This record gives sequence, structure tokens and C-alpha cells, in this order.
Amino acid sequence: MTTTALKNPSEAERQLAELFSRHTPEAAQKAAFEAFARTGLPHRRMEQWKWTDVRQAVSELAPVKAEADTSIELPSNAVKLSFDGSGWTIPDELPAGINIFLKSGGHDFAQADALPVGALAASMTGYSSKDMLMIEVSAKVDRPLVLAYQGGGDAAFSRVVFVVRENCHVDIFEHYSGGAGFSSFLTEFGLAEGASVKRTLLQEASQQEVTAITTTAHLDTKAVFTQSALSFGGKLCRIETHLEHKGEGAEATLNGAYLAASGYHTDFTTHVTHGAESCVTSQLTKGAVADGGRGVFQGKFLVPRTVGQFTDAEMQHQALLLENGAEIFAKPELEIYADDVECEHGNTSGQLDEDALFYMQQRGIPKPEARALLTEAFIAEALEEAHDDVRAQLVDATRRFLRNQRGG
Amino acid sequence: MLKLDNLTADVGEGDGRKTILNGLSLEVPAGEVHAIMGPNGAGKSTLSYVLTGREGYEATSGTATLNGEDLLEMEPDERAAAGIFLSFQYPVEIPGVPVMTFVRAAINAQRKTRGEEEISAPDFIKKAREIGQKLNIDAEMLKRPVNVGFSGGEKKRLEIFQMMMMEPRFAILDETDSGLDIDALKTVADGVNALRSEDRGMLVITHYQRLLDHIQPDRVHVLAKGRIVKSGGPELALQLEKEGYDGILGEVA
Ligand SMILES: Nc1ncnc2c1ncn2[C@@H]1O[C@H](COP(=O)(O)OP(=O)(O)OP(=O)(O)O)[C@@H](O)[C@H]1O
Ligand SMILES: [Mg+2]
Repeated sequence: MTTTALKNPSEAERQLAELFSRHTPEAAQKAAFEAFARTGLPHRRMEQWKWTDVRQAVSELAPVKAEADTSIELPSNAVKLSFDGSGWTIPDELPAGINIFLKSGGHDFAQADALPVGALAASMTGYSSKDMLMIEVSAKVDRPLVLAYQGGGDAAFSRVVFVVRENCHVDIFEHYSGGAGFSSFLTEFGLAEGASVKRTLLQEASQQEVTAITTTAHLDTKAVFTQSALSFGGKLCRIETHLEHKGEGAEATLNGAYLAASGYHTDFTTHVTHGAESCVTSQLTKGAVADGGRGVFQGKFLVPRTVGQFTDAEMQHQALLLENGAEIFAKPELEIYADDVECEHGNTSGQLDEDALFYMQQRGIPKPEARALLTEAFIAEALEEAHDDVRAQLVDATRRFLRNQRGG
Repeated sequence: MLKLDNLTADVGEGDGRKTILNGLSLEVPAGEVHAIMGPNGAGKSTLSYVLTGREGYEATSGTATLNGEDLLEMEPDERAAAGIFLSFQYPVEIPGVPVMTFVRAAINAQRKTRGEEEISAPDFIKKAREIGQKLNIDAEMLKRPVNVGFSGGEKKRLEIFQMMMMEPRFAILDETDSGLDIDALKTVADGVNALRSEDRGMLVITHYQRLLDHIQPDRVHVLAKGRIVKSGGPELALQLEKEGYDGILGEVA
């Protein structure tokens, strides 16, 4: 029995096993749960989770009330799919080039062992009333696809698979606005030759919620994947992206911005494998953390010998400690075995420039406003690649957050 | 208008702490432009920071008032709203904040503090365009982040641009002439002269007669060792140019 595979389960793990046993999983889901059960909820003694201890944060599955979220005005031509924690609402009319399939069990989740929380999501599809969502993109789709996630009570799990065909394109905006005590959302992208995806993501949750947003992406020859994420965290939030360049000349942009208020924890973890020649990765992560808040950045570029030749990759993480008592943990890693590559990384955390603050004050701007303006400009740089329809609204959300901070 | 009486200020931390302004008294009546000259390290920039309220440059005794209002009691942004403007000797970069956004935010913040209406967007843009043209600042530059990647001379011109946009009651220009080419010096001086008016005062800190050829000061003061050691008419600057500080300071010592 799968439930017995969990060793010394915590109360939350026992509840998860109970949830799993209540539905009738197919082979892929069983395999995914077994993979999850090998580690259980990730905890601080696991190297990849040392700063983000899910087991401790999720003591039991308990419902939360959804808090008011940022309302994002969507363009009128947006195609909106909503997930309420148990099922999907899909519009009847879909644009040409978008096909949506609901699959009961789904395929094996190949990276289950590296991504235990993602595996958990893969095992639970079907726990809710509907199943794994597969979205096939077979044209250059000019209407943005919106995936809105909200609700779920004690727990919410989803699995979405994007299959983007040769030379096709889609813009995606994902809005995670909380409403479940524990949630894990898994999204898998497969980009065929010359395909491109522009993905923009906004995550918000209350201080009671633990959420994991796990993404895998495989890029074939000359595929382009552009991701911009803005995260406000939660009791614990992990946004983890594993991307693999599988065909020559693929390009990835993985940008992220995080803002952590007191009592909030947010974690951006990325893993990029340059499994083909001449691929490009550009990654910029920016964060601002208040007293009592916590920001985590873990980035890794893996460039194997031979296949990784002519890699061009840059990783930057820059964070601002808005007040004393803010915590930032960062681990940028480059693991390079190929010899003809251009790889750079930078990692800084510090405070706002006092000289700049004084200059702004001298021109009449009160200090709290000067701080907010400087911080906003700092964060906005990581959102420059976000979709045009929402970028300004993401910056507005950043501004509102900063105006609400005390400031030192 | 600006009245400084027996102003004393320390700078530096701990053991490095020293008295830089040492009983400085000075009065600039409304409508007048005064020049301050003095050797390197005399305390000229320190004076500008004490007047604008920079952290670490607090006055330890004496008074500083603008139209009778106590400046030393106010926050830097309140002093700006009261009408004090400083053209920095070394203008600071504000990454990610475009000039137009910054100047508009500053003007509106000052107006808010004074209880006035915000400037309308069209009025603001019109004014920026006019002043930009006068100062040979192209529209492209005004879209860039404040001072980021600007040349030395461009930074100085941008200081004057901001001064003209904000129309302060009292302007302090700290070596705005240094780093300017000959044409830019003339442009900047024209800007300064355009702002001269009966209800506005200015304090121009400079090392060179060149600027004073364009901006005729009403009075010239020599600042040395933290106080004003000599004051005179425009001819004092010419005398300094000829004799150097040694000559003048020897005379007063
Ligand atoms: N923050 C500080 N900490 C320590 N010493 C300082 C500080 N600021 C200024 N000083 C010192 O105070 C003295 C006066 O400096 P100030 O910049 O006011 O001179 P200045 O007259 O403007 O000179 P210059 O003509 O070179 O611009 C100098 O000796 C300087 O080193
Ligand atoms: Mg100076």
C-alpha cells in the first residue's frame, strides 16, 4: 500500500496519504505518490530545502479563507481558465490553435524524484473533480491565456501540461491568489522546435498558506521560453523552475521579483541544464524584504561537457533588505564542464543608497516615498519582460506593497 | 532672506569627528546673488549640507533661517518645500527612475507639503520642454534614469534643469561650473540669470572667476577654516584670482 511508504508520517503527511487513498489513482499517479513518499514533505535536512522547510510549515491540512487579492484587469480578448481548488472552468469558445484535453491519470512525471512537491501534485490530479489539464498550442495564438488559481480550502493540487507545437506561440498569465492551506501546482512545458512561450506569473497568498508552484520546461531547437514572476510569498512559498535546453540555439529568460512582508517567506529556486549547444539563459531575480520577512534564491546552471558547448548564460540575484531583521538567503551555483562557454553570475544584497535617498529628499520627496520609489524602480527591472497587458499592473502591485511598509 | 548666525557644525564619526563650520555668519537678502569662494576643504560643501539637512551634518550651535523660518528644525524634504534647492557638487545617480518621473514626483511632493495643487501633466510637459530647450537638454535625456551614465557636464546641466523646473526661493549652487565646457557654462549662467528675481536669493559656490563673469554676484565672501573671513563686492573675486588665498588669508590673519 502506498500510504505505508511514508516513514513516520507527520499529521499533514498522514492526511495527504488519506486523501490519496480516497481516489482511484492510475499507474502514473501511483508512481508519483511513491516518489513523493520517499521523502515526504521536504524539510530542512534536504539540501535543496534547507531554507524552505515545508514539513515544518504544514503541520496539518487546515482550511483558510481566501483573502482579497490584487485585481488584475485582463485584456478583453483574454481566454480565462479558472481553477477553484477542485476543478477547472474552461470557456466553451477557444481560439484557433488552442486545444484543451482533460486526462484522467496523465503520463509519468519524469522528474518526480527531483521535485517531491511537484510529484505530490501529479499524484493528486483526480483527487479533485476534474483531471490533469493538457493544453495543446498549434498556432501563433494572439489572445493571452489566463490561468487563475484561487481557493481549495485545506488543500489544492493541479497539474497542467503545455504542448507547444513547432513554431507556435502562446502568451500565458498565471495568477495564483491563494485560498488553500496547502497547495501544490505543477506545470510542464514542452516546446517543440522554434516554439515560444511568454509566461507571466503573479503569486499572492495569506500568511497562513503554504504553496508550491513547480514548473518543468523542455526546449527543443531554437525554442524561446520567457518567464517573469512576481511573488509576495505566504507562510511559505516556493516557486521552482527546472528547465532543460534540449535542442541547439534554444533561449530562456527566467526573471523573478519577490517582496516579502513581515511573516512572509518566498523562495525562487531554478535549475537550468544546458543539454544542447549554443543555448542562451538569462536570469534576473530581484527581491525586497521587510523586517521579519524571508527571501530565498537558489539558482543553478548545469553545463555538461560537449553538449553544453557555446553556452551563454547569466544569472543575477540582487536583493534589498528594507529594514533590519529582514532575511535573505541566496545560493547561486554554476556547474560547468564544457570549456567554450560564457557564464556569469552575480549576487548582492544590501540596503538602499543613502546618498540617493538624500538627493531625492533634497528635491522635496519625503523619505518613505523616496524609499518606495527607489525600491519600486529596483524591482521593476525584473518585470520588464512581463506581458505588456499586465506589466504595469504588476509594478502597481509592487508600489502598493511598498507604500504599506513602514520603512526605516 | 537667508540668515546664518554663528553656525557651528561637526562632521565625521567617533575619533574622526571634527568641527568644520566654526561660527559662520552670513546674510543673503532677497533679490541678491552672493558668491562663496574658499580653499579646498574649507567647508563650503559642508555648509550646503548643513543648510539642506543631510544626515551627519547637523549644526551643533547657531541659527539658520529662511525668511524667518528655522531651517535646522526641518526635515530635508520640508526644507525643499520651504524653497531651498541645492545643486550638488557631485549629483547622485537614481537608478531606474527617469528624469521626468523624478522631477514631477519632486514638484508634486513639494506642492503637497505646501498644501498646493499638483502640477497638471500637460503643464509639466510643456514646461520641461521649454526649459530643456533653453539648456540644450534633449528629450531623450529626460527619459533616462536620473544621472545614470550622464557625463559630468550633463549632470550639472540637469541640476540647473531641475532648479528651473522647481523655481526655488533660495538656490545654493555648489561648484555647478566645474566640469562644464565653455558653451555649457554660458548656458547654465543664462539659466541662473533667468531665475534672478526680487524675491529669490542665491548662493553660488565656485573656485573660478569665469562663472562670476556671467553671473554678476552682488557680494563675494571668502570661506576659510569654517567661517567667513572676508566679504566684498565682485572685485574681491578678481583680487583672489590675482593674489590667491594665501595673499587674502595672510591679510586677514
Ligand atoms: N562625512 C565626512 N566625514 C569626515 N570628514 C568630512 C566629511 N564631510 C566633509 N569632511 C571634511 O570636512 C572638510 C570640509 O569639506 P567640504 O567638502 O565642506 O570642503 P569644500 O570647501 O567643499 O572643498 P572643495 O572646494 O574641495 O569642494 C574636509 O576636510 C572634508 O574632508
Ligand atoms: Mg565642495
